[in-house]
Amino acid sequence: MIPHAPILAIVLPLFAAFLMPVVGILARRRGIKRAREWFAIAAVLVELVIVVSMLPVVWGEQILVYQLGGWQPPWGINLAIDGLNLFVAVIVAGISALVVIYSFVCMERDTGLDQYYTLLFLILAGMMGVALTGDIFNLYVFFEIMCISSYALVAFRRKWQSIEASIKYLIVSSLGTSFILLGIALLYGMVGSLNIAHLAQKLPLEPTSAIIVPLALFVTGFGIKIAMVPLHMWQPDAYQAAPSAVAALFSGATATIGIYAMVRVVYTLFGAFAIGIMLAALGLVTMVLGALMALTQRDLKRLLAYSCISQIGYVLLGIGLGTVLGVQGGLFHLFNNAIYKTMLFMIAGAIIYRVGTSNMDRLGGLWKNMPVTAMLFGVGALAISGVPPFNGFASKWTIYVAGIEAGQPVFTIIALIMSALTLAYFLKALNSIFLGQRPTHLKNVKETPLFMLFPIVLLAALCVIFGVLPQLGIDIVRPAQEALMNSGGYISAVLGGA
Amino acid sequence: MVSESVLFGPGFWGPVVATAALLLITAVGWLILIGGRRITKAKPSAGKIQTYACGETLKAEEAHVDSEQFFSTISRVFRPFYRYVRPGHTGVLSTYLFWVVVGLIIILAAIAVVLR
Repeated sequence: MIPHAPILAIVLPLFAAFLMPVVGILARRRGIKRAREWFAIAAVLVELVIVVSMLPVVWGEQILVYQLGGWQPPWGINLAIDGLNLFVAVIVAGISALVVIYSFVCMERDTGLDQYYTLLFLILAGMMGVALTGDIFNLYVFFEIMCISSYALVAFRRKWQSIEASIKYLIVSSLGTSFILLGIALLYGMVGSLNIAHLAQKLPLEPTSAIIVPLALFVTGFGIKIAMVPLHMWQPDAYQAAPSAVAALFSGATATIGIYAMVRVVYTLFGAFAIGIMLAALGLVTMVLGALMALTQRDLKRLLAYSCISQIGYVLLGIGLGTVLGVQGGLFHLFNNAIYKTMLFMIAGAIIYRVGTSNMDRLGGLWKNMPVTAMLFGVGALAISGVPPFNGFASKWTIYVAGIEAGQPVFTIIALIMSALTLAYFLKALNSIFLGQRPTHLKNVKETPLFMLFPIVLLAALCVIFGVLPQLGIDIVRPAQEALMNSGGYISAVLGGA
Repeated sequence: MVSESVLFGPGFWGPVVATAALLLITAVGWLILIGGRRITKAKPSAGKIQTYACGETLKAEEAHVDSEQFFSTISRVFRPFYRYVRPGHTGVLSTYLFWVVVGLIIILAAIAVVLR
């Protein structure tokens, strides 16, 4: 492991964010082209190496506890890294790296890229902070850093639609973060601590009635971030209006962080496995609503946004079942969703880059012009629909089996039907964009640039690898599942004998 | 019995064997398609390949299925859903905030019921 890797994983993107305008100014003065982009790629790759360097230690069943300033928890702030948050940190770092590489070409026609990369790295710092911290107030602060940077990035192109979507996102999300802050205040009032492990140790001593309100505030606050029904409405607007690279980051990384924060608080902090059935039921509603809304969309990015809502429903269903298999399936699906949803948003961005629109009614026959992109879209569509031999099948299958084993066959049947609907709306998208007759104005459209294609091909390869070798995915997910279901181990590792 | 993990191997779902079988079947299907084309060569006349739409010839731009109506039959099955739920997704901020409050109440009530 790289020395001080836990804190470096947060500090590096933070410094990179603030150095970005300086790099931009220096590059312009010295006439170095694309220096800022290369700096961003280098920084995000170093970040990925730092995060990955922690894997051998944590997968060796050790919980890394990094005390800031040498203060013992619960008095000092600490970073506590177990299988669950490292799993999330790897997803976040990996997706961020691919998004930064993708942005190299995708964002080249935009101005103000100093700000763009600054905000992107601020989101990354926020996500890493949320993932790695062992302090609930720190989690809130990093969550806010992530959210505020997200609002700015949605409005990045300063078009009327993007500004409107950003303001709506800001207001709804701020309400959610206010709920979280209120929940933290209530917990602090009850227990007098902000350390997650310490809170988890003390909360079982409190009367059940006292934890209902803070728990509901947390679930609602994080539910807004992951777009759980009925808190989801901001998401299609924001994803449609944001630049495609940003939408890819949101769908793959920030949604993962939202799920992590929710399960960490619900299962580790409150130990409330009993409300899993409520999460599973809300997951089902989320799955159904997302799929039915996606079915009638005209815009590809909006369709993907609703699809995102639907897939988060699967994750909630798996995790909510609360069994070993359910949690494994849910986390595996979270991992897979990050892969193919990022990929599909990147493909949407490639289409917009070449054609200028994501309105499916104005597209068609692009298979002839963009055969590689069409094939990759096919891979993504089949993977997300749970068609074998792609990765989505493996995680959905695990969730289906978990549903039946948990005595909830109706949940499994609904999830199966929604999988069929997912295939239906992706076949519609495939047909509208790539098949059929090609409008005359699309005759000269070229294939996606190689630099944009690279991250998409990599993600498509992962869809195949984890589909053909699902046991590999299960092996990656297992330490996260074991960490999530072993709150006692987390508490004793952080607090020691305290 | 509750499983510790789904085992993907040579049992009910062996992904490597299944993928090989899928690829093999695809290759066989492809060969049949190509073979069929060689045996019976299509010789369409100009009139046959024209899009028939009430006697009018459509431009490529016009010969496109409307995305919203693509699955109109499925949409009809879920008509109550589209009638009552879809109007909530109109982009009006106050509606979004209303549903956040409703969501909080639902979650609060559900947690209270489950934990008590």
